[in-house]
Amino acid sequence: MLKNLVKKTEFYVALVILVIALLIHVRSGAFFQTNNILDILNASVVPGLFTVSTFMIILSGGMDISFPAIAALTSYVTVDVLNSINYEGSMVLIFVMAAVLGALCGLVNAFFIASLNLPPLIVTLGTQSVYRGLLQGALNAQQINMLPPAMGKFARASVYTAEDPVTGATSHLPAGFIIFVAVVILAYFILYRTMFGRGVYAIGGDLVSAERAGFNVLAIRYFLYIFSGIVAGITGIVRSSMNQMVHPTNLFGIEMTIIAGVILGGASLVGGKGSLLGALLGMFLLTMVQNSMLLLGIPGYWQTFFVGLVIILGISITSYRNLVAADKAKTLRDKSKEELVNE
Amino acid sequence: MKKKQIIAILMAIVMLIGVAACGDSGNETADDSQEDAAVDTVDDADTDEDVDADTDTDEDAEAGEDTEAGGDWTIAVVPKDEANPWFVRMKEGVNQYAADTGLDVFQRGPAETDAQQQIQVVEDLIAQGVDALCVVPHDPGAMEPVLQKAMDAGIVVITHEAASQVNCDYNLEAFNYDEYGAFIMDTLAEAMGEEGKYITMVGSFTNDSHNMEADSAIEHQKANYPNMELIEEDFKVESEDNPEVAYQKAKEIIKKHPDLKGVVGTSSFDSPGVGRAIEELGLIGQVFTAGTGMPQTNKALLESGAVHALTLWDPADAGYAMCELARMVLDGEEVGEGTDLGVDGYNNLELDGKVLTGQAWITITKENVDDFNF
Repeated sequence: MLKNLVKKTEFYVALVILVIALLIHVRSGAFFQTNNILDILNASVVPGLFTVSTFMIILSGGMDISFPAIAALTSYVTVDVLNSINYEGSMVLIFVMAAVLGALCGLVNAFFIASLNLPPLIVTLGTQSVYRGLLQGALNAQQINMLPPAMGKFARASVYTAEDPVTGATSHLPAGFIIFVAVVILAYFILYRTMFGRGVYAIGGDLVSAERAGFNVLAIRYFLYIFSGIVAGITGIVRSSMNQMVHPTNLFGIEMTIIAGVILGGASLVGGKGSLLGALLGMFLLTMVQNSMLLLGIPGYWQTFFVGLVIILGISITSYRNLVAADKAKTLRDKSKEELVNE
Repeated sequence: MKKKQIIAILMAIVMLIGVAACGDSGNETADDSQEDAAVDTVDDADTDEDVDADTDTDEDAEAGEDTEAGGDWTIAVVPKDEANPWFVRMKEGVNQYAADTGLDVFQRGPAETDAQQQIQVVEDLIAQGVDALCVVPHDPGAMEPVLQKAMDAGIVVITHEAASQVNCDYNLEAFNYDEYGAFIMDTLAEAMGEEGKYITMVGSFTNDSHNMEADSAIEHQKANYPNMELIEEDFKVESEDNPEVAYQKAKEIIKKHPDLKGVVGTSSFDSPGVGRAIEELGLIGQVFTAGTGMPQTNKALLESGAVHALTLWDPADAGYAMCELARMVLDGEEVGEGTDLGVDGYNNLELDGKVLTGQAWITITKENVDDFNF
């Protein structure tokens, strides 16, 4: 049992999280307070949602860097359209609308990547630029401060509230967290309980073999990019609600942190390797570090330096472990070869 | 085989569209200034863009001739970020100036707050051959080389919110940042009852005006409010000009220092972000924030008391004043102590080196927030 655990990348990421958490707690005495844990979970909702879809795509050997642009575009269009008709209905339609728009954006990605077989990184680099262009050029997007009333209610809805005994400050676990958990459960079910999910691992390992083994590679890849679009659309709405504004640009740049988190969690950039749990742990580690710089008392200029350090350190640990594993496999192979020769 | 042919045809179509689009955009870069200005003055961005572009080409040629004749100037205003409501408001002033004078004046900035992208915009405008550039640099240091290039090309350079800028004809300030920082401190001190611990927040550590405001706020406190105390010496919080970051960091700093009572905000996202944290934490009336911010955007926060008061200058006036200053320099009029740019608060400028300073600050509270429509 323990031996199995030590072999897993997730174990090491969790260990790093624990060590840093302890470090923060020792420095500030505030890390393991309910308020702080809730604040970090609160801050994890948006990156967490992005991590789920990005992990699935990276697992399949693909790449998607267009999701912040999709989130910005879909949330802007949704809110703008609903504002123009003075929408006062429920949250459901808002999510559905953003999800449908997101799915359309994902479909465009999927067409170029899966049907035309173009490199995913370049395609999504292009489409994210197109989506941003649409947003800022064609739609002339500016910050929207008035949101449909349902989004305000959604933002204030709290699943769980904690009150700090000393300051009386209250922290909330927002309703968006439920959406995050639901998406994680859905992704877990797809990846680990269906043949479809096996297919995602298979095409990440080797596309041609997966096709020969009978997986519908085209359908799987289409699904992944459309799913990523849908998740991006929903995340855009969650984020805008929590911020109480739609801002056309302030999500940009998050894609690199998300990808770093996924790789940190043990996924391979070429696909076929990694676990959802690992990716989420990687994301959590980065969110936690980014939101604890002041608690740690690290002065401003050094904060980005420290975050970079954690990324490099984390990746080094995971790749070193992969290297050791590869070495072991090689010695085993050589041994069996030798034995063959000796015979 | 068949699949490959389809792909080839598709690619060809995409390329054709691409080429066509490039042709268009080629025209556009040359005419953008014209187009923007034309579109802006007519105040109608959506209709007949193609027709506009065509007629603009002609106008461009005419404008070129006129410029040589003298008097008819092209002035470009470069904000930090086109989407930021602050600079949207500035654009109103710039357009007003264009309407009042009939000069070719327009505003164009990067799509997001990014020093590199802003430099690119300035590069493009130099290539376009504008007569004057009014720049609000995100990172004044990084902007120096490209502004020098502009000045070498004979372009008049006016900057705003960059007192240390070397490569400019003049840097125009709405007010003296020291006095403004002190003014924010007075506003915050009033809310805090002149006692308790506080901290300062800046948009970025490299932003001149934010850091000057924060420093002078601290100095002013030390001189005038003995019962107040900076929570940690030489410590500022960076909000990255992003309300989400300001909000997260405010929550963090309140955890780290439960006895915190006040936050000085300098970027227009600082106090609103902090206010959101104060509201969510249920600390209204215990923790206070005052600082730069836009009135309409933060109306709810002002009314709930999460933000005590906002201080600012009107970006539309600043935009208007920059353009007028650029015109005066272009026309060879004398600029110096006491210059009047024809805008309230900029009627009697002070000159120090290259820095011209007005007295144009305003305070916004829940009582008067509705007087400001931006």
